[in-house]
Amino acid sequence: MAVMNMREAIASTIHAEMERDSNVLILGEDIVGGMGTAGGPEAIGGIWGLTGGLYAKFGPNRVIDTPISESCIIGAAAGAALSGKRAIAELMFADFVGVCLDQLYNQIAKFRYMFGGAKCPVTVRLTYGAGLNAAAQHSQAVYAMLTSIPGLKVVMPTTPADAKGLLTSAIRGDDPVMFFEHKTLYGDKGEVPDGDYLLPFGHARMVREGHDASIVTCGQMVGFAARAADNLAKEGIACDVIDLRTTSPMDEETILDSVEMSGRLIVVDESPPRCSLASDIAGLVANKGFAALRAPIEMVTPPHTPVPFARELEKAYLPSAAGIEAAVRKALAYR
Amino acid sequence: MPLARHELIRAYQRMKTIREFEERLHVEIANGQIAGFTHLYAGQEAVAVGVCENLSVEDRIVSTHRGHGHCIAKGCDVVGMMKEIFGRRDGLCHGKGGSMHIADTTIGMLGANGIVGAGAPIALGAALAAKMDDKGHVAVTFTGDGACNQGTTFEAMNMAVVLKAPLLFAFENNHYSEHTGDHYSVGAKDMASRAEGFGMLARKVDGCDFLASYDIVNDVLKHCRAGNGPAAIEFNTERFFGHFEGDPQRYRGPDEIGRLRSTRDCLKIFRDKVTKSGLLDGATLDQIDADVLALIERAVEEAQKAPPPTAADVLTNVYATY
Amino acid sequence: MSKLRAFTMPKWGIEMVEGTISEWNVKVGEPVVKGQVIAQIETDKIVNEVEIEYDTRFVRLIAEPGQAYAVGELLAVTSSDTVEDEEIDTFVRAFVPAGGASAAPAGPSGTPPPAAAPAAPAVAPAPAAAGRDSPAIPAGSLISPAARELALRLSVNVSVIQGHGRSGRITLQDVDQAAKPIRSVHGGGPVAIEPTGAALDAFYASPYAKRLAVTHSVDLATLTGTGPRGRISRQDVVTAAGISAVPARGSAYEILRMSPTRKAIARQLTLSKSTIPHFYLRVSANVDALLALRAELKRAVGSAPSVNDYFIRAVALALVAAPDVNVQVHGDQIHRFRDADISVAVAADKGLIAPVIRAAQTKSVQGISAELRAVIERARAGKLRADEIVGGSFTVSNLGMFGVDQFDAIINPPQGAILAIGAARLCPVERGGGLSVAQVANFSLSCDHRAIDGAVGAAFLKELTALIETPQRL
Repeated sequence: MAVMNMREAIASTIHAEMERDSNVLILGEDIVGGMGTAGGPEAIGGIWGLTGGLYAKFGPNRVIDTPISESCIIGAAAGAALSGKRAIAELMFADFVGVCLDQLYNQIAKFRYMFGGAKCPVTVRLTYGAGLNAAAQHSQAVYAMLTSIPGLKVVMPTTPADAKGLLTSAIRGDDPVMFFEHKTLYGDKGEVPDGDYLLPFGHARMVREGHDASIVTCGQMVGFAARAADNLAKEGIACDVIDLRTTSPMDEETILDSVEMSGRLIVVDESPPRCSLASDIAGLVANKGFAALRAPIEMVTPPHTPVPFARELEKAYLPSAAGIEAAVRKALAYR
Repeated sequence: MPLARHELIRAYQRMKTIREFEERLHVEIANGQIAGFTHLYAGQEAVAVGVCENLSVEDRIVSTHRGHGHCIAKGCDVVGMMKEIFGRRDGLCHGKGGSMHIADTTIGMLGANGIVGAGAPIALGAALAAKMDDKGHVAVTFTGDGACNQGTTFEAMNMAVVLKAPLLFAFENNHYSEHTGDHYSVGAKDMASRAEGFGMLARKVDGCDFLASYDIVNDVLKHCRAGNGPAAIEFNTERFFGHFEGDPQRYRGPDEIGRLRSTRDCLKIFRDKVTKSGLLDGATLDQIDADVLALIERAVEEAQKAPPPTAADVLTNVYATY
Repeated sequence: MSKLRAFTMPKWGIEMVEGTISEWNVKVGEPVVKGQVIAQIETDKIVNEVEIEYDTRFVRLIAEPGQAYAVGELLAVTSSDTVEDEEIDTFVRAFVPAGGASAAPAGPSGTPPPAAAPAAPAVAPAPAAAGRDSPAIPAGSLISPAARELALRLSVNVSVIQGHGRSGRITLQDVDQAAKPIRSVHGGGPVAIEPTGAALDAFYASPYAKRLAVTHSVDLATLTGTGPRGRISRQDVVTAAGISAVPARGSAYEILRMSPTRKAIARQLTLSKSTIPHFYLRVSANVDALLALRAELKRAVGSAPSVNDYFIRAVALALVAAPDVNVQVHGDQIHRFRDADISVAVAADKGLIAPVIRAAQTKSVQGISAELRAVIERARAGKLRADEIVGGSFTVSNLGMFGVDQFDAIINPPQGAILAIGAARLCPVERGGGLSVAQVANFSLSCDHRAIDGAVGAAFLKELTALIETPQRL
């Protein structure tokens, strides 16, 4: 076991996997940095600092710093994967899926299906989420949209250990994986197992346990939910807090297990409310867990707006621990 | 570089197979036998074969929506292809892809593609994989006069140059991008010079002349295989059918297709050249014609008899594991 | 175009939401001058004269005296010129009170109520019934049809409900919740919520499977997973350990599902206790005379009505004498009954039932006794008809036969009161300045203070006690 932050967990995993398998390559903008400049390569090692040192170790054929061409980053990852390689592609901001969506949505997601079984092992790493005032085009929780695409897997770790376990599984797996890293969680520290560590997808993590209400969420919201649960626990209200870890595949069984015990579901989701993860889970439970429900399902989400800039606005936009607490109380007060 | 006799025979056989495959599909589609959209390659055979005869199984190609020709030229199983287009369970893609997504990645055919322009980035990836392997392999992206205007094509051209990727941009200018002429849609009027502007080696050739096309590809690929980066060839070619089957083709000039079929038929041009220069005799070519027709006939028969997929097949191959 | 002006319900003070025109002081067509008193308006605090602020004529009076109107609602239309009826109709139809909902229903021309007014928010209000809505639902409220119906049926005041539908529309769920007593989110001491299964993370098992394994000491290594992707599921652990899937939480208990009757009682009495302001009046009555009379009858005839039958007769007569206790409360209405329709609380298998003895004051004690016996037998057999248990105006509940000395009963809404009777016991009593003993029974009258004041209840009890202590009057 070593203590490290999520950034280090991800960086070390990429190093380890590229070392283990010479077929692994990584592409992205500024993942090396400094190409074609006076300062020379490794000027930055990725703008989030996760890919430093790879170029020196693995060379320009496997560590590819690209011009700003998202469609080609993702498309090239796809082509390399179809040609027997394992590609890691980095999108600097998840919002940029807008630029290259065809390569994800019509190409990578569908190759295996359309071509009758062709393997396309691509891991796309994306940095997402609000909380650093990056405003509307650099703060979106894009995972909800991608969860709905058959053929893609969608993963979002919340702890350094989960980051290592899930990323390793993503790279070694033969399916395309969208690996979502939340901007505000990069610095979070935690214990990380040494050596080979793989986590299966569709396997949620219990963050808190209690039978009064079930709080289901992922990503940055997990920490908020845990704070809300801790506050409620002081008054004798005990909540399950479930960190989904992956939304495609999703651990439906754990969600239903929890709701069958508590009868009260609170879904917390950072993505905008329409056709979102929250509505997906609410629909699932309304359909398969109806008999267990003792109160209407509470959905704690941002409003149907883009992400605003000013500090006060972004704070008002995002769900908060207080908002989650209020939703739990509301569900408990229903009669 | 002169081709040996058996190579010439194989080239003609490949081109003839493509021609007869497409001509037969035209008939079967008109009979209502085929579901969905189909885009026929007849007329462009010399380009696909001219390129693919210079490739090994480890070189990879990415095709367009008009992909049957590239598929056959790369060596895909013709019967399997026919079954796929007929939507059969044991088609090349198990009935899951159809004409627009026909593929066989095991022999380096990385798929026809329904999104115009999507192929170039994917082919770039295949080229980067080749670069990693460092064995002198290349990748080819077939791009039409429509796709050459798509942002993804420009991105791929730039990135291929920046990364010195062994990627050949095979621009097939058949002069029609759906219903629009290339004189209108290609602003620079010249795809090769645009590619040159991006910083790569660029050539032009008559795409209806197999021998000329083969030679220029051979030349250009030496450059790519040697690690000198990407290259582009603009092939001047013709398509005899519509953009899609069912296209009323109101954009054609008077008796244009008749004229093209008599003056710009790559099979006729090839036959003329090889017989006049004594490389092959007419009888040999006639025999190939007969053999190809028999193959296509068998392919259609088998496709018609083959079982369709079942409802359970909808669920397969979405993921490796889920 | 003539200048039509609206005369609307004024807002006097921040709390006023509605007022009633008690009297118009103008006639249609009559010219009025600035400062003239044109109406009397009553709120729940005061009655006030209303003066017109400009010279005009009242061309249409809309508000009816005695009816309540919300602040801002259209009460009349004035104009300085002559106008056609049609113009007034158009004006009335288009009128939007400040606050956005559409105008009040039909003016004298009998036009049907209008749909959403142009300036109003996007959603049209629910179509108003012909005529006035009940005061519980101000006209023009944004409320769904089903919610409106439920609100009227349960007498729920929707003006204080926060609507959760689009644009603040009140939904069926909002009304449903508002009709129920507030459920307090239970407080308590801190609880531990750390996950228990973390030690078993090495196993590929669902979080709930791990939890159960820890609680029931099941070794996950011995299990094969049947969950998704071969994961060990909760069911696998449950089966392996032969345990109930519901985890034990502290002490062992048996779960009994509430029957529909039980649930109905629960609902009804919870509603009663939390919405009705109960108060209790207690008296004791000397039943020596009553018991003696009954004993004599028994000796003479061989059988006699039960003591409770006599009590019921006494209650019936007392209710007729003090009818302000013989009431039902409905919203802000009191229904005062002429007959003593007495619900008699009976303990049956399924719970408490209360068959009604109608017009008990017209029945003799024997008559009451016979009827009650028959009806109790049917009640215990579950064969009561619906009409036998609805509509009582007063309930009598006697736990004397169970040895209970004294208790306070919970009112059965919509009734206004309930009498709880305890066992008669030999007690020391004061007689002629000295100590003696007598059989004394305790009575407790629970009253709904919204309709029954202390003095009223006391008067009833006084009459009741008098009747019981002079049983020959029964």
